[in-house]
Amino acid sequence: MSDTDNLVHAVDTTDGGATNPADSPADEAVKRRLGWGFWLCIGWIVLMIVLAFLAPYLSIKDPNANFIDMSGKGRPPYGPSMDHWFGTDKDARDIFSRTLYGARISLTVGFVAIAFGLLVGGTLGILAGYFRGWFDRIISFVFVILLSFPSLVLAIMLTSLIERSLLTISLVLGVLSIAPVGRLARASTLQYADREFVTAARQIGATNRRIIMRELLPNVVIPMGALALLGMAVAIVAEGGLAFLGLSVEKGITWGFLIQLGSEGSTTLQKSPWIAFFPIFVLFFTVLALNFAGDRLRTYLDVKESAL
Amino acid sequence: MRFWLQRVAMAVLLLLSVSALTFGAMNILGDPLFNILGPVAGDVNNPDSVKLIEKAKAEFDLDEPLVVRYGLWLSDFVRGDMGVQFSSDGQPPVSDLIKERLPRTATLVLLAQLMAIVIAIPWALATASRAGKLSDRISTMNTFFLVAMPNFALAIILKFVLSIKLGWMPLTYVANDPLSSRLWQMVLPALTIALPVAAVFQRLLRTDLITTLQQDFILMARAKGLSRRRVLFRHALRPSLFSFITVVGLNTGALIGGSIVVETIFRIPGIGSSLVESVLREDFPVVLAIVMIVAVAFVLINLLVDILYSIIDPRVRR
Repeated sequence: MSDTDNLVHAVDTTDGGATNPADSPADEAVKRRLGWGFWLCIGWIVLMIVLAFLAPYLSIKDPNANFIDMSGKGRPPYGPSMDHWFGTDKDARDIFSRTLYGARISLTVGFVAIAFGLLVGGTLGILAGYFRGWFDRIISFVFVILLSFPSLVLAIMLTSLIERSLLTISLVLGVLSIAPVGRLARASTLQYADREFVTAARQIGATNRRIIMRELLPNVVIPMGALALLGMAVAIVAEGGLAFLGLSVEKGITWGFLIQLGSEGSTTLQKSPWIAFFPIFVLFFTVLALNFAGDRLRTYLDVKESAL
Repeated sequence: MRFWLQRVAMAVLLLLSVSALTFGAMNILGDPLFNILGPVAGDVNNPDSVKLIEKAKAEFDLDEPLVVRYGLWLSDFVRGDMGVQFSSDGQPPVSDLIKERLPRTATLVLLAQLMAIVIAIPWALATASRAGKLSDRISTMNTFFLVAMPNFALAIILKFVLSIKLGWMPLTYVANDPLSSRLWQMVLPALTIALPVAAVFQRLLRTDLITTLQQDFILMARAKGLSRRRVLFRHALRPSLFSFITVVGLNTGALIGGSIVVETIFRIPGIGSSLVESVLREDFPVVLAIVMIVAVAFVLINLLVDILYSIIDPRVRR
């Protein structure tokens, strides 16, 4: 996107002329600021994390309790009201509190998955890029194998082999992020491994371990950090997809599961759209925020698309 | 020639590794005997159960070493025999199940790919020629929204708006309907898969088009007095299509992934929904067959794209 955003200001085809965006100091300033949109997104993400973390301590309704209304409103599901902000599902459970509780699993899975991907993929990528040779060949081939499945198919296949708990689902989605993260780490390592400061470090007798930890890692970590937000968004969507298909954490409330509940059967969506739509909004805004923030960060840190 | 041979050899090696890993994982992490027989598999003291266990072991070659079983499975698979289903008495055989369901998924994915391309190209042309204007900025925002929208959420929103509220589209797929109405029933599912993919295509093609539009030959064409439309379609589009083609190939994975979710929502009995069902039933031969078909399709399409690309742009062959 970094190129795209600059080019938006640059091209005017009506007179066939073009100005180079890099020449204009104003554009450079725009590029070098994160902008209010970024902070808005970070704000939303932080709010979600805080609400998810504090959900059991806030005075919200019990997500598993049935609030059957006896005052003549008939059978559940009930629409949104002052009492139930997001309405209730067909078992009269409060969707607002269920959405907040859903954030706990969805966000945890997203975070653990990308952390695992960064740790494993990052380590493998840096080592492959630094040592090259046969090790690099093997690792690169493993990345190609991982990428030769559509990711959802790989995730479904792996979930079929395990007990579906919070940890295992997170790790399965983490495995999916190994290859993209690893390729970026390898590409950035290759880019820095021949630079003068690395040669200089080697000349004064630095060990491989020291060169990797002190010279390469600080440089490679920056583009990977920008990728982390995007990776978290991908993991949250993937978990949602699995939960929607009934293949995520067993007996857990997650956003995908709530959306699935709101769309099952032939009439649920028709008669009580709020059951699916409130979790969809929350999921969508969270993923959008992570995507947007990650994208801005990547532009800000000037990570080249070609390195991906 | 050498370049192509290398590519083909790499693809074969890749598929062998993928199948070995998948087969190994299913047999080591899963328990095939239990999947075939259910709880009877653990009942070794009852002579009746033991007889069943022996029969199943002989039938599925479970006493052979893993490598031998992989070899047997592979030679069967390449000849089109994908074994029997573990559940529902093994009937119909997996290959029949696939034969019945694969055409639906293939139609869906193909339709989605076509839609994505048909949407993306005019969209990219329109925005690239007005880059930086308000309409372009709104379109950039829209691509962002579409890319961030999980496909199951998009499916529900489209289904709610177009099928339930407006009543323009059929709600679900009915396998017994005549072909024309089945195709019509596929339009909304295909659109669900196509929209985010079209957004990705558009984003890429727009960037490439903008780069092309800055070239001198475009200025030249304009100076000759050709209309903007003609320059855009005849001069700018073709040289901008290189990376577009690659991404169209690479995105097949996203299409297949999307079809799994969409098939479930719109009740299309294709291989995607079949994969989910068989995972829930722990029916490994079906899972294995579908995973392999998807991997083969994915690898083949990318091989094809590589070759196509090297024909269009001979520089990459070196």
